[in-house]
Formats: sequence, C-alpha cells, structure tokens
Amino acid sequence: MSDTIQQLKDIVLNFDIDNAEAVAKAAINSGLDPVLAANTLTDAIRDVGDRFGKGELYLPDLVCASEVLKKAFPIINEAIEASGGSQSSLGKVVIGTVFGDIHSIGKSMVATLLYAAGFKVIDLGINVKSEDFLAAVKEHNADILAMSALLTTTAMEQKKVIEGLKSTSLRDRVKVIVGGSPINQEFADSIGADGYGATAPEGVKIAKRLMRIEQ
Amino acid sequence: MQNGFKRKFEPLKILTDSQVEQIHTASLNVLEEVGFKYESNKALKLLEEHGCRVDYKTMIAKIPPSLVEWAITKTPSSFYLKARDPGKSIRLGGNTLYFMNSAGARYVDIDTGMVTMPTMDQNNIAVLISDSLDSVNVFPSYTPYFEIEGIPPVMSCPVSCAQRHRFSTKPSRGAQPSDSFIWETQIAKAVDAQIMGCVEGAAPLSLAEDPCNAAFYYLEADFPIYIASGSIMGGSHPVTIAGASVSHNAELLAIIVLLQCIKPGAGVIANNFVSAMNMATGDLSFGTAAIAMHQMAYNQIWHSLYKIPVNNTGSAFSNAKIIDYQLGAEKLPLATCSALSGANLIVLHGGVTAELAYNPVLAIIDDDVAKTLGRIVEGFAVNDETIGLDVIRNVGSNGTFLNTRQTRTMWKTEDYVPGIFDKTSYQEWVNSGKKTVIDRAKARYEEILATYKPVPVTPEQDKEINRILKEASQYYKKKGLI
Repeated sequence: MSDTIQQLKDIVLNFDIDNAEAVAKAAINSGLDPVLAANTLTDAIRDVGDRFGKGELYLPDLVCASEVLKKAFPIINEAIEASGGSQSSLGKVVIGTVFGDIHSIGKSMVATLLYAAGFKVIDLGINVKSEDFLAAVKEHNADILAMSALLTTTAMEQKKVIEGLKSTSLRDRVKVIVGGSPINQEFADSIGADGYGATAPEGVKIAKRLMRIEQ
Repeated sequence: MQNGFKRKFEPLKILTDSQVEQIHTASLNVLEEVGFKYESNKALKLLEEHGCRVDYKTMIAKIPPSLVEWAITKTPSSFYLKARDPGKSIRLGGNTLYFMNSAGARYVDIDTGMVTMPTMDQNNIAVLISDSLDSVNVFPSYTPYFEIEGIPPVMSCPVSCAQRHRFSTKPSRGAQPSDSFIWETQIAKAVDAQIMGCVEGAAPLSLAEDPCNAAFYYLEADFPIYIASGSIMGGSHPVTIAGASVSHNAELLAIIVLLQCIKPGAGVIANNFVSAMNMATGDLSFGTAAIAMHQMAYNQIWHSLYKIPVNNTGSAFSNAKIIDYQLGAEKLPLATCSALSGANLIVLHGGVTAELAYNPVLAIIDDDVAKTLGRIVEGFAVNDETIGLDVIRNVGSNGTFLNTRQTRTMWKTEDYVPGIFDKTSYQEWVNSGKKTVIDRAKARYEEILATYKPVPVTPEQDKEINRILKEASQYYKKKGLI
C-alpha cells in the first residue's frame, strides 16, 4: 500500500502527466481508500506550490503538476462518490478571466495555487460572460469568486459581474477577489471587490484571509 | 514623404536556406492539418469559397498550402500610407527602415518610477513631443498611453486616435477592440489621411471576432493593414525558438490569407511581437536573447522569402522600471538585431516597464538611438572619394586628417552625431553640474514644449472629429459599455 501512495506522490512531484491516469486507476483498483488517495495528491501539489513560492520550482513545474491532478482526480473523485465519502476543502472558489479577455496564465496560476492550498476550485476558463460567473456562483454555492482581467478595456467587466451579483442577491453570499495587470487596490475598492492580489501567491493569501483561515 | 533609412547592405541572416524552408513548410503543415480558428462566420464563408475546409462548429478553417502561397504572392512588397500632411506619408517595405512610437498604459514619473493615470494634457504633450522627433515616423494604436484620465476604457482607442491626429501630422495605426475601427476610420477620413488598420490574432492559432470585423472594415476603407499575433514563448507559443517561429508564422500567414481573400493586393505589414515568459511569475520578459533570435529569423523569412514588409516590436519595452542601464541594455540589442536583419519598422520610442508605462523624455533619448541605428543600416560608400588615397598619401606619417577637405566635408555624413547623448569632456561635465542624459533630455523636452507648434487640424476637421467621438460615445452607451 505504501508503494501505491508513493507512486501517487511521484506522479505529481515528477510532473508525470503521461502516467497520471494509469497510476490513479491502479491506486483505486488496489483497494486504496480513495479519500487517502486524494489527500496524497493534495499534499503533493501543496509541496509543489510551496516550492514554487520559495523560488525552487518554476511555472512550467506548477502547471504540469496541476495537469497531473486534472487527469488523476476525476478517477479518484468518482471512487470517493461511489463509496459515499467526501473530501474536505478550505472553501469553494469559482475563478475565470472576464468576458472579452483571453489571457489565461495569471488566472491558471492562481487557480493552481488555490487548489494546492486546499480550496476546491471551479475554473471557468477565459472569456467568461457575466451571466456564466453568476450561474457558477449559484450552482456551486461558491465562497469566493475570483476574476482576472489583463486588459484595460476588460477590467470594467469585473464591475459588471459584481453589479450582477448585487442584482441577483448573490453578493452577500460570496466574497470577490480581482486581479490582473491593469488592476490595483484603488480600482478593486472602486468596484466593490473584497480583495485584490498583485501576484498569484498574494491571491491565495487574500482568499485565506477572506475565509478567516489562520496563515 | 518621410524617407526613412535605406538599408545599403544585405540583411543579416540567422538561418540557412534549408532552415527557412523547414519553418515555412512546417507552417504550411500547421495550417493544413491543425487549421486556424476565425471567430467570424463571414470570414469562414469567404475562406470556404476560396478552398478552405471549414468546420463552422469549431470555427476552424483548414487552409490548403496553395491558398497560403497564393496569398503571399498577392501581398505587395511595399505600400503607401498617406498622412494628414502628405509630406509625412511613408512607403513601408523594401529596404527602407522606419521607426514607430512605443506606448504604455500609464505615465511614469522619470525621477520616482511611480506610474499614474495620464491626464489628457500629458497625453497630448507626449504626442506633440513625438511629432517633433524626426525619427518617429508613425504612431501605433492607443498611443502614447493606453488609458487617459476621465475617458471610459471603451472610448480610449477612438479618443487616442483623435488626439494623435490633432497633435501630429504623422501617420497612425488604428485599433480593433469593441468596434473602435468604425470611429478611427472616420477620424482618418475626416483629416484626409489613411491609417494602418489593425488585425491582431490571439495565439495560439486564432483570430477573434473583433479583428475579423476590423479586417473587413479597414479594407473596405481602402486602408493598408498591420497584422500581428502577440504571444509568449512557453505560454501561447512553444518555448523553442524554432517551434515558436512556426506557430507565429502560421498565425500571420492565416491572417494574410483572410486579408487577401477579402481584397487581393491589399498592403500588409506583419508584426513580430513575441515575448518570453518569466517562468517564476508568468509575466512578460522583454529584451531577451530568445526574442532577438526569434525576430531575426522572422525578418529573414518574411523579408527574403515572402517579400512582405515586417515590423518588430521586441525593442519597444523593457522590464526596467525607470530609465537606467537595464532599459538601454534590454532595448538596444533587440533594436540593433531588428535593424540589421531587415525590419522595415521598429517600435522603439518611450516605452518602459513592460507595457505598463511611457514617458516622452525617454522618446527624446530614443530619437538618438533610432538615428544611430538608421545611420548604421545606411552603411558607407566605398569609392575613390571616400577611400581618398591621395589624402592618405598627403598626410603621410606625420600629419593630421583634421585639416583636410575630406574631413571638413564628410564628417557629418560619415557618422551620426547624437543630439542628446553627453559627448562633453569630463571637466565640462563636472563644470556643467554633472548633467546626465536624462537631465539633457528633460531640458530638450522643455525646449520642444516652448517652441514646437504642431500643425493643427482645421476648425471643420476639429468639429467633425468631435461629432465622430460624440457618435461613438452614444453607440457605446446604447451597448451598455459606458
């Protein structure tokens, strides 16, 4: 059993995207508790995230480790659901790049680091319409909505989404974090966001602060 | 017409002929096998009529090599761009090198490095300064600042275009987001000028709806087109220079195909704005060796094989936050590589801090940089007069060349004498208060402000520009964007 756990750790720590699905399937087929399997992967990605934060690893490492999880987790989650179990998380975050904007790197970094920190992340991708953000917040009962905008011309979309949250009575149920190169604290305050992060690690700190998690 | 600098020697080559062919062939493979996403049914229908295999659901067109090569042959090797002042018009292409102003989102304070939202006055002054600089031949879109205080973001492109035409008689490039091309085309026509239309792809391998619409609109107005596919090696393009060259090539060729299908023979300049990624932060990294090599390979392929005018943006920005040694060390090698390898247009003046900031004082310093590079590409003459064997013989071993007619008549043309760089002696420098190049550029900035008067638009033209901006504002209000 310890070999199986080590293999799960290794696919993340060695960024082994090609073998991720096979190792996850083998782990489940070997009878490993799927919650333990999920926790093993989460611990490993947290380690990758920590080393990225210290400057020991780089963006390609972080993203490739995240890809490993994207392949392995559906298999493990399926087994968790089949067994009637569940995995704990620090909170649910809906994240995306706003409508009209197709920049994905910053948003994906934040999503990966949030995931590594222990949040459940629902990544809506890029060019996300206001109504899709609102629907996802409602559907997933999100604790946090994180929006990225890399263009001056799209930054105001963040305000539009916040206005949408107000008009659909969702604003009080969800904290809003904004980021992106044209965004600063002043802008975040002006549109009524709850937090602003200049970097991906800062975004995670803000998310934890908003969830009142000790850091 | 602005003459630009005439390159007198063969552009520097970084690839063998076989490597050029490999990259071209791989680009054709990408377009034929993977295809290119055009987010416009109108564009897809046109491409289908020209022989592309189109999947309307994914919006991907697979482009046959014959169509790509037809489009290349249809694109002229140069085109004329009419300015408000015909004397400031340019012909882009061939062996001529011009310079384009750079840009930045915000105004950067030269002394503190702090960035702030530029006021309308700061925007107008920056345009005026660049209008006064001989080596700024053309302006890009939303220049010098991406944003202007008090202007709604969706109006920033039309307003910027209007102010460029009010404070400069030089040609300009249009923009593409949020239908801004409608208003920019009207503004250019109101002052009897052309603008270079803008059609920018979104790497990897796609062109959004706005630029597709801009392509049809600008070509209908009979304007030439600037194309680009800004990307990041390791992000939206492969991390290898060869792989990124193929992806980038395929993207620009796909845009060329659309443009030539819309209007065969349309003038096009193809821009290279590929940056590297800072793998610790995901931010753009400027002034790197990989960008320089990517641009050189690109210039070689497009200049020698496709014979389509090329623009390089790699030297427009630096990651330096202020005007310092890093800024020069990041911008100048790229600009030099671009100039030597065949670029027809180099974006240079005034950009700092990775697209975040701009300052016209830097544009004044860059004027000297551009003129130095221009002087280099013009090369030197080798003939009896310039060799001057008689002069060498007469001076012999003991004399000086200073008192010769050759020196007196030729020293100014053989070299470029900078206007801003400090060439004083050490003692003069101490006695003058140890002025830096930035101090000197600031003094020149004040001098330009006090003495330079751009040619104004006529009252009728001004009134028409106001009408267009008002119409644009109402249009965006109706769309809920203001």
